[in-house]
Amino acid sequence: MLQLKEVTYKIGTFSMGPINLSVQKGEYIALFGPSGSGKSLLLELIAGIRAPKSGSVIIDNRDVTAIPAGKRAVSMLFQDYALFPNMTVFDNIAFPMKMKRRPINEINSEVNKICCYLSIEHLCKRGTSALSGGEQQRVALARAIAAEPLLLLLDEPLSALDYELRDEAIELLDMVKRSGITIIHVTHNREEVLKLAHKTINFKELNIRV
Amino acid sequence: MRGCGFYNNTRLFFIFMGGVVMLFLIAPLVGMFISVKAPMLMETLRDQEVTSGIGRTLIVSAAATLISSIFAIPFAWILARKSFPLKGLVEALIDIPVMIPHSAAGIAVLGIISKDSLLGSLANSAGFSLVGSHFAIGFAMAFVSIPFLINSARDGFAAVPQRLESAAQTLGAPGMTIFTKVSLPLAKRSILSGYVLMFARGMSEFGAVVIVAYHPMTTPVMIFDRFNSFGLNYARPVAVIFIVVTLVVFALLRFYNRKKIE
Repeated sequence: MLQLKEVTYKIGTFSMGPINLSVQKGEYIALFGPSGSGKSLLLELIAGIRAPKSGSVIIDNRDVTAIPAGKRAVSMLFQDYALFPNMTVFDNIAFPMKMKRRPINEINSEVNKICCYLSIEHLCKRGTSALSGGEQQRVALARAIAAEPLLLLLDEPLSALDYELRDEAIELLDMVKRSGITIIHVTHNREEVLKLAHKTINFKELNIRV
Repeated sequence: MRGCGFYNNTRLFFIFMGGVVMLFLIAPLVGMFISVKAPMLMETLRDQEVTSGIGRTLIVSAAATLISSIFAIPFAWILARKSFPLKGLVEALIDIPVMIPHSAAGIAVLGIISKDSLLGSLANSAGFSLVGSHFAIGFAMAFVSIPFLINSARDGFAAVPQRLESAAQTLGAPGMTIFTKVSLPLAKRSILSGYVLMFARGMSEFGAVVIVAYHPMTTPVMIFDRFNSFGLNYARPVAVIFIVVTLVVFALLRFYNRKKIE
């Protein structure tokens, strides 16, 4: 499903790689390591937000190294959720479908379906700034799913949540996992993903040179 | 207790200093307003040269602001988001019109639009002269005021979290859509403030405009012309009317901006 072959990256004095990683379809991979080690950066390389210095990124047997983000069938849940504050919850979730120019009635029914799935249908008309942390996470997850990705990248999805909300969020991620989507979950806390992940990988094992 | 007293004395001192500044700003304007006689003011209000001059000043400044923004806003985004060689120099160049004497700015603009220049000679061959035209006024206004729009918009774009643009990118939005649907709406407050600043600076410009176009007269040139030719009493009513018009325009713009942002 995903293969990273000899991927390296350099920015300023920080360098990373070569990284080799292989993820099977439907797998939930947890990548753990200390803060500031470059885990989020690796997700950005997979998503196409950054371009590697060398090596290749292969998704679904297609070399996507030179393909821009948004055309890779990869969605990313950002650590701070990155919801668009100038749009309602509905518009946030509909955004990737609008980008694909899907018919408006199809968008409406798809957004409603996803909102029911994540139990956020009551939030649709609200702005994003008034949402709680847990609600923001659900909306961001809904938006990521709405893009119909083959691969979902989760950047520290639990770190911004209160302790009480974490169990709820883990259940939510478990539900998404059961849908069969391939997931890479990056975290600095290995314990929080033990129940979720099929496999946990220490970031250092990926042959990272920092 | 001593600390509290000291705090009160400091506060009183600061309030006094603030009062001096406010007096410094307000006293000349109030003095000008109360020294204008009502009949003179009414007569000036009926003077078509004055009303058309004010209209011209507002329209040309608005047009210069709007046209400049087509170029300035994408440029501001580049400055906020991208690193490139000599970026510091480019940013310094943007601020040059603010720092140089505006009469010198006028001379610089005249060099570009006079009939000896490429642009001027092209216009001449098409049968019209740029010097002394509305185009020259707008060009001079834009030259001295565009830094306000660029800098304000740049700061606005820089304040938009880059993650939001990245998120839009991963969700399939092309570059222009990211700009129009995410960056631009989120930087709206700063951009609108930049529009107002540029418009204000443009319409009040005298030094650069007077060099490229004495006629047709903008209001600042007219105030100078009347003061120079007929004295203070003749220039004062025009100045009062122009100040009132600008205050009304800016109050309306601020109200509109606030409504739009809400």
